[in-house]
Amino acid sequence: MNDLFLPLAVGCAVALVSALLVVLARRPVHAVLALLGHSLSIAALYMILGADMVAVGQVLVYAGAIVVLFLFVVALLPQGGAEDDPTLGRVLGGVVAAGALLAGIAAWLSLGASLPPVAANAGGNVTEIGRSLFGRLIVPFELTTPLLLVAIIGAVAIWRRQERVP
Amino acid sequence: MNPEVLVLATSVVLLAIGVAGALIRRNPIAVLMSIELMLNGANLLLVLGARVRGNVDGQSAALIVLVLAAAEAVIGLGIALALFRDRDRVDIDEPAEVRG
Repeated sequence: MNDLFLPLAVGCAVALVSALLVVLARRPVHAVLALLGHSLSIAALYMILGADMVAVGQVLVYAGAIVVLFLFVVALLPQGGAEDDPTLGRVLGGVVAAGALLAGIAAWLSLGASLPPVAANAGGNVTEIGRSLFGRLIVPFELTTPLLLVAIIGAVAIWRRQERVP
Repeated sequence: MNPEVLVLATSVVLLAIGVAGALIRRNPIAVLMSIELMLNGANLLLVLGARVRGNVDGQSAALIVLVLAAAEAVIGLGIALALFRDRDRVDIDEPAEVRG
């Protein structure tokens, strides 16, 4: 897998930089565009890791649906969703929480976790994913059906209640 | 450094960036996007695990998380729009009361 190191490093760098841009961008439209770049770089990482099916799903769902949805909402919000500068307390709280999380995970990883050697049959094809989704993972897979239904009905219900108020 | 560690570190740092963003920003859209960053980090770890273990179940779980992320974005953005459409400032601390 050593020949994959350079593409993986480039993909990871793009993903991290665009994630930082999402958080730091002052205008929401720029943040949404950074999220688009981030989604595509994550899809590239999936592709390099041999998860073609997940990469296609990532492009379709994130770059195709979620980013467009975010853009619509940015356009509909007052002032294009512009916000005031965060207070110092907020910044401190966020940075401390993220730092604590990083330190905790790093400590936990350094305590005993080690990656097992890469299995020989790494990567999967669509047939195997279908076998696993309709076999061992049939219950969570079927549970996404009511989840999507509830999301659709919920989105419409929230909007209808809003419409009734003059 | 082997490539698996690189991807693992990326996914952990993505999670931390998402946490920081969700806590720092006051714009509901930015908070939702930070949550998407966290979900992407978790998904990356699932796909890496599927590769390391040679077991395709991780990729299937990542697909299910994708569906979850889409549903979460729809509901979250709907609530944000319903709350902030008629206000003149977009600040997630402002709606202190939950109106019926």
